[in-house]
Amino acid sequence: MSLYDDSTYPVRKDIEDIHADQFDQLKTPGTWGTSEQRLTIINEARQSAYHAGTLEKPTNPGIVPNVELSDVARRVVKRLAIAPKDMDQKFYNQAIEDGLTDSQYVEIVGLVARFTCFDIFARGIDIPLRPLPSPTSGPPSQKRPKEAVIEKAWVPTIPNFPEGGEISKVLFGPWQPYIMRGLSLVPDEFTAHFDLEEVQYMPSAHFLEFDYQHHEGLTRPQVEIVAARVSALNECFY
Amino acid sequence: MGYEVDLRALIDRELDIGFPGGNELLDFSDALLGSKKSELDTSRLALSESLGPEAISAAAIIAATFTKNDRVANGTGIPAEPRMMEGSDDIRELLGLKKYKSAINTYRHM
Repeated sequence: MSLYDDSTYPVRKDIEDIHADQFDQLKTPGTWGTSEQRLTIINEARQSAYHAGTLEKPTNPGIVPNVELSDVARRVVKRLAIAPKDMDQKFYNQAIEDGLTDSQYVEIVGLVARFTCFDIFARGIDIPLRPLPSPTSGPPSQKRPKEAVIEKAWVPTIPNFPEGGEISKVLFGPWQPYIMRGLSLVPDEFTAHFDLEEVQYMPSAHFLEFDYQHHEGLTRPQVEIVAARVSALNECFY
Repeated sequence: MGYEVDLRALIDRELDIGFPGGNELLDFSDALLGSKKSELDTSRLALSESLGPEAISAAAIIAATFTKNDRVANGTGIPAEPRMMEGSDDIRELLGLKKYKSAINTYRHM
């Protein structure tokens, strides 16, 4: 059975495959969080959205690990999940002051952003949220790229080549904008986010072709209407 | 393409955006991020009738993608690149983008 078999609306196979892969990856540890901690973060984001009424609780939420998140982690997850327009540098600085590392913070941003994306998609096509998988044990990799520095974001990022060194060439190719590099302090989160973008929005090679149509049901202008409205609702200047 | 698109409809839902399926897409986007399931069901049906069932999956994946990107941008404090800012001042003013809390992440570098 594939991930979106129960949808009455057609879902492209490449979208279904990448979502299934990223749900599957939750079974293994991340860069700074164990599998159980990462599942707990996603469950916490979902709980916040149920409470706000922006997601409907499914009958089968899947595995919910019994892990206690720190107060600061819960605060960051909740704000990201239901009030992304209210994120500011003061909030970030306070999170760091209260004990999160910058790398942990970036991993939380990546996780909540990606799984809110999957949950919003499920809600959009009128199916229940997909159940969370069972965790496996094991330590996080704790790999921090030494090339990451403070550029113009609050969080450290890997600069584009040549300043970013060989890793930037491997991750970014010739150049990537901040919307991609924002998560590069945790390279696995960058890669997961980038891969989704290529499938869900459009391959970056076609970005400047304004008559390119990546989705069967919508022309490029119609895609941009949805994108612009969603970003207006989230008050995203970028 | 021969359409008189009114971009102000992106922030003022009283206005007609003037593009085929545009108003249905805006209603669906609002309801998808909103808290009223009945409005989401109504807007989904209207969008499907206007642009077809493929439009539901497509609009849902685009809305989902930008909910992701907005969280990444607002959560990490990234600025818009200078090349994105060039020539976009009028439209950012028209749409009131400069009032967003996240605008400072770009303007503090200018």
